[in-house]
Amino acid sequence: MNLMQYMLAQQAIEETFWRKAPGQGLILWVVIGLALGTGLCFLLSTVPTNLRKKVIFTFTFLAGLPYVLAFLWPRPISADFTNDIPRNKGEEIGFFINQAVEPVGTLTNILGGFLLGVGIFSLVRVHSIRIKRRQENWGYSLVLLASFAIMTVVGFWDWRLRAFVDQTGALNVRDNWQPVNYAQDLLFEGIYQQMDSAMFSMIAFFILSAAYRAFRIRSVEATVMMASALILMLNLMGALTYAWGEGINNLVVQTGNPFLMNFKLNVFADWLRSTMQIPAIRAIDFGVGLGALAMGLRLWLGLEKGGVTA
Amino acid sequence: MFNWLQGEQYLDTAPVGIFVTLLVVVFILVNISRAKKGSEGLFIRRISGLNAIDDAIGRATEMGRPVLMVPGIGALDAISVQAVNIFAQVTKSAAQFSTPVRLCCGNAAVYAFAQEVIRDVYSQQGMGDRFTPETVQYISEQQFAFAAGVSGIIHREKVAATFLLGAFYAESLIFAETSNAIGAIQVAGSTQVTQTPFFIAACDYVLIGDEFYAASAYLTREPVLVGSLVGQDWAKILVASTVLFGTIFQSVELTGMTTEHRAGNAMVSVAESSNGERTEERKKKTDTMTNRLFNPFIPEELTKIEREKKETAQAAEGEGE
Repeated sequence: MNLMQYMLAQQAIEETFWRKAPGQGLILWVVIGLALGTGLCFLLSTVPTNLRKKVIFTFTFLAGLPYVLAFLWPRPISADFTNDIPRNKGEEIGFFINQAVEPVGTLTNILGGFLLGVGIFSLVRVHSIRIKRRQENWGYSLVLLASFAIMTVVGFWDWRLRAFVDQTGALNVRDNWQPVNYAQDLLFEGIYQQMDSAMFSMIAFFILSAAYRAFRIRSVEATVMMASALILMLNLMGALTYAWGEGINNLVVQTGNPFLMNFKLNVFADWLRSTMQIPAIRAIDFGVGLGALAMGLRLWLGLEKGGVTA
Repeated sequence: MFNWLQGEQYLDTAPVGIFVTLLVVVFILVNISRAKKGSEGLFIRRISGLNAIDDAIGRATEMGRPVLMVPGIGALDAISVQAVNIFAQVTKSAAQFSTPVRLCCGNAAVYAFAQEVIRDVYSQQGMGDRFTPETVQYISEQQFAFAAGVSGIIHREKVAATFLLGAFYAESLIFAETSNAIGAIQVAGSTQVTQTPFFIAACDYVLIGDEFYAASAYLTREPVLVGSLVGQDWAKILVASTVLFGTIFQSVELTGMTTEHRAGNAMVSVAESSNGERTEERKKKTDTMTNRLFNPFIPEELTKIEREKKETAQAAEGEGE
């Protein structure tokens, strides 16, 4: 499989108003896309500062419009927007709007891909400068750049072998691996994943030290928090919960007062969760949701004064 | 009954969900309009986490150390844009005292956006030359590689203050505890309710919930932002009222007797019950008017609609068989 066949295999088959399958003219479309993109980038770089806000607003508004319309217009029920035929005019409009959502998402991904290049450029520049000027700890920068280069080369080589050279899927079996496949496995599974797990496991120690500071009884709030945490933690200890529960059962039998059942650890912990914790979380979620809605609305309508228009 | 409104989103909560959303949008736009005409009478309560910004920058200036800012590891969305907006204000204050800042990004799009914003802030302060490649840095898209990178910067540069605002996950505590270990002042805020407790346990000041979104209005007193905040408050009153009245109506209704109830794919009157006897029973939670308002009864045939397939799809299905 060559690159052309690979790209053709990746593209969608079904066409919509928003998505065309270029077929054999793929290279031509790629060239046209590149030329248009380069021209657009050049034009954008010449836009005067006072027009930048309008350009950004226009792009933001157009990109957000399909999502807003898709939210408001009745979305055809259990529809496959690519393969189904709409039943009436209302559904036709619904199909048209919902088909537009995917290409906008794809465009965002493409922009994200370009921006990743900008990010990598920043990373390489910062560490190259550090090495060049022999700044403090420049050795770490050298290790970073070397790791970055080795991982990129080995990763692409491994992918190329698996996607283009290996037609039969023989590389899925370890016995057929080539040296580069072993190298990729060592770098990714053997080193990267292990370091990632090590970093994650450190959180356990950080939780301990943070909990120690947070649960020191300094104020009423800290005392309440510590008491609640203690009840919830004790509730997770099966033997203790059982023994405590049995003690309460005996007390109820002796005193004849069923109200004491509320003091079982699991009942008290459930009460804390359902009556205190969940309402608080829901209240915070309402506030956050409304804040996100307001922020999104301001961005979409170009009312936000922050960012590049500050 | 619902044939005129065949939309998936209308089946879930009836038009109520869409109507409430539009009402909130109207609240926000009306208040922005009001604030533009004059925002003097609009009050924002004191938020201690945001008052601490100047103290933190002052401390960094006295110690001659940088201020670290992290907008989380989320993609470029409302949360990261808001975080960068707050950081623009922090940078503005820091630039006035020539205090260096470090903004570490875990997403390339956020990095590109933050770089533009922070560079603009320095230019506006007439200090364009102070913006260096290290001011805004891209670290890594991988969660723990990013955590390790930022922790390294905190340790090596001995930052005096850290601002952790945005979408954080498991790495939140790594940043907070590393900053605490070197004695930095920490101001944190996350929209993730699962991470907020970690920040409360480990940081000096925490923005909880929508305080994060109120921050730019609080810091800038920009009429559009203040108006938007008041609109959000109106919406919160609406939500709280709905919860309150819903609770009361639901409680009152549950004390009554039912005349009909849901049975599978139909509403069955008590008078038509299977054994032919009229038996009154207490209403269930699903029988109340409040519940039905938000969960309308939808016949099953309306939730699944069969459509004709395009010719190409039919051919593909034929090949598959």
